[in-house]
Amino acid sequence: MSERQALHVGIDLGTSRSSISASNGQRHVVESYVGWPLDMVARKVLKKSVLIGREALEQRTMLDLHRPLEEGLIKDGSEKDEAAVRELLRHLVQLAGVDPEERAKFQIRAVVGVPAEALRVNKQQVRKAMHGIADSLLIVSEPFAVAYGLEELLHTMIIDIGAGTTDICVMKGRLPNEDDQRTLTQAGDWIDEQLFRLVRERHPQASVSLHMVRGWKEEGSFVGEPLAPILVTAPVAGKPTRLDITAEMRQACEGILPPLVESMFDLLSRVDPEYQERVRQNVVLSGGTGLVRGLGPRLERELQAVGGGKVRVVRDPIYVGSDGGLAIALDAPEGDWEKLATDEPKKR
Amino acid sequence: MARVDRLKQRLLRELVDQNVELVAGLPRKLLKRRRRLRLGSSLLGLALLPVALLASSRLFAPDLAPIATHASSPSAPSRTGAPASAVSSASEALRKPAPRPIDPSVFPLAVRRIALDPGHGGFAVGTRASSGLYEKDVTLDIARRVQRLLEASSFEVVMTRDDDRAVSLRDRARIANEARADLFVSIHLNWIAGGNTRGVETYYLGPTDDPELDRLAALENRDSGYAVADFRRLLDQVYADARQGSSRRLAESIDGALFRSLSRLPARLPAANGSGVADRGVKTAPFLVLVSTEMPAVLAEVSSLSNATEAELLTKPLYRQYIAEALARGVRRYALAAESAPEKGI
Repeated sequence: MSERQALHVGIDLGTSRSSISASNGQRHVVESYVGWPLDMVARKVLKKSVLIGREALEQRTMLDLHRPLEEGLIKDGSEKDEAAVRELLRHLVQLAGVDPEERAKFQIRAVVGVPAEALRVNKQQVRKAMHGIADSLLIVSEPFAVAYGLEELLHTMIIDIGAGTTDICVMKGRLPNEDDQRTLTQAGDWIDEQLFRLVRERHPQASVSLHMVRGWKEEGSFVGEPLAPILVTAPVAGKPTRLDITAEMRQACEGILPPLVESMFDLLSRVDPEYQERVRQNVVLSGGTGLVRGLGPRLERELQAVGGGKVRVVRDPIYVGSDGGLAIALDAPEGDWEKLATDEPKKR
Repeated sequence: MARVDRLKQRLLRELVDQNVELVAGLPRKLLKRRRRLRLGSSLLGLALLPVALLASSRLFAPDLAPIATHASSPSAPSRTGAPASAVSSASEALRKPAPRPIDPSVFPLAVRRIALDPGHGGFAVGTRASSGLYEKDVTLDIARRVQRLLEASSFEVVMTRDDDRAVSLRDRARIANEARADLFVSIHLNWIAGGNTRGVETYYLGPTDDPELDRLAALENRDSGYAVADFRRLLDQVYADARQGSSRRLAESIDGALFRSLSRLPARLPAANGSGVADRGVKTAPFLVLVSTEMPAVLAEVSSLSNATEAELLTKPLYRQYIAEALARGVRRYALAAESAPEKGI
């Protein structure tokens, strides 16, 4: 046992992107897509039995393509999606430097983040998916992992806006319970859908795909005033045409504000009155969609209604979750990992 | 720095404990008791225990019903309106020792299966806006949206109707009971005289002395399929039911979510920030569909068709989606509270 090399990893399993941070210094991010070749021909062309991440996305016409996480959770009841999550996790661990051939040489201790309001059954699914991929597993609420990584464990509000979910969590120096955190389904994907719908309403003659819209959002998302008009190119009757989607972009991005602001106020009101001011002054925005331009200042403006506050955007939103997970993995007492084995527990 | 480290240690301790519970599949309290009693050691046993508890609490439920009837009305033993099944289970129950009512909150059971009940349907159109919008169509659309949202968060959903047809209240309850749903959520639209009020309100079963509510209950109870005698008997037994507390908590969770999200609408919805939505709150009323369901059950009046603004908003898919998301959030939050804090859960 003892000659097995311990490897600690933090994994942020995201609807759109998944990242891993490992104790050997490796950090990687992949897009959460998994695809299997559709038929023999595709298999021959692709020379692989499974494709993951951007590669899968690029070859999607030849693949049975899955995006196995929805709203940050493993889709329930679909064996293909469960298998896809396992492939994704295996791939991440391999990127972190664990050759599948040499898997037995490693003692892998993983921390995986899940949305704040994940149910017990969702967490059990993650445990099941990690069986055999990690030796021991700790499941944490994603915003808690972020807070831990930033060492912001007291009087802080973490707003983690990903693709599938927006997780909001107030750190009160304890493990967040259901009064301290909220999960909203208005996040990056939701913006894509709104933008897609709005652009189609405004330019019905243009052919637009959800995939194109996602790309435009990643380039030009904003709330409030735009730096410059948002101009994109899409085919109209086969001819590439410039379209102005500034108004649509604003409307789609600002759509996440009402539920977000409402939950922010709701959680603030549950903080002890004497600490509310400190929490307001310490709001942290993270996650890919947290990068929407103007979002921080806009939230600060909303906070003025309750006495003002400060919102800052984390420096490294892609890895902040997995880095936090890794920090937890490294700090967890050695003896505890045995109790968290992903294998069937031995008879006592 | 030392303070942060102590804090970190404490948080990690809590986190590990929480995960150990998850590995064992049981909440901490039960886990400790089991260790003390040294009852078996296989994981299978641990996994089956909640199932067994669930089954036993359900087995008791129908037995309790006839006994309560006997206790409350000894002078009228032969009611012709009583269904045959109730009579036979009553005689069965007589052979067993009378079980005491159990407070279900003793068992921290997970909420997995949700019965959604879109109000009205078919010839029973429900209320109708002056624009011609029918309650039955709106409730079905919202229920389908809630279904998609709940299924995405790993709940199973049973619909009491999935198309435009009339289903009696009795059949709605039967569908939920036979599917062994853990929660029952009935979706309705209100009609408030005067037309000025935009309000949400959520009901669970209980007596009311408000004549307005009796009127509303009479409206929603119209197509019940029950005889008056059955109804009285059902009411007697249910008012004392342990699931009332759970129903109240579910109603509070749903009502809170509805009110919070509908009082802040996105700017592009008309009148979004104009006349505010009134939280008419959580109330008790004798709705029949809540009487005969065997699980915590609520009836949500998610909007009021009598109000012109609401009637206009309800024609917008975005607004119906907002309502659906609020309902799903209410259910999710209840389920989460039930499993993380069993003492105040189910």
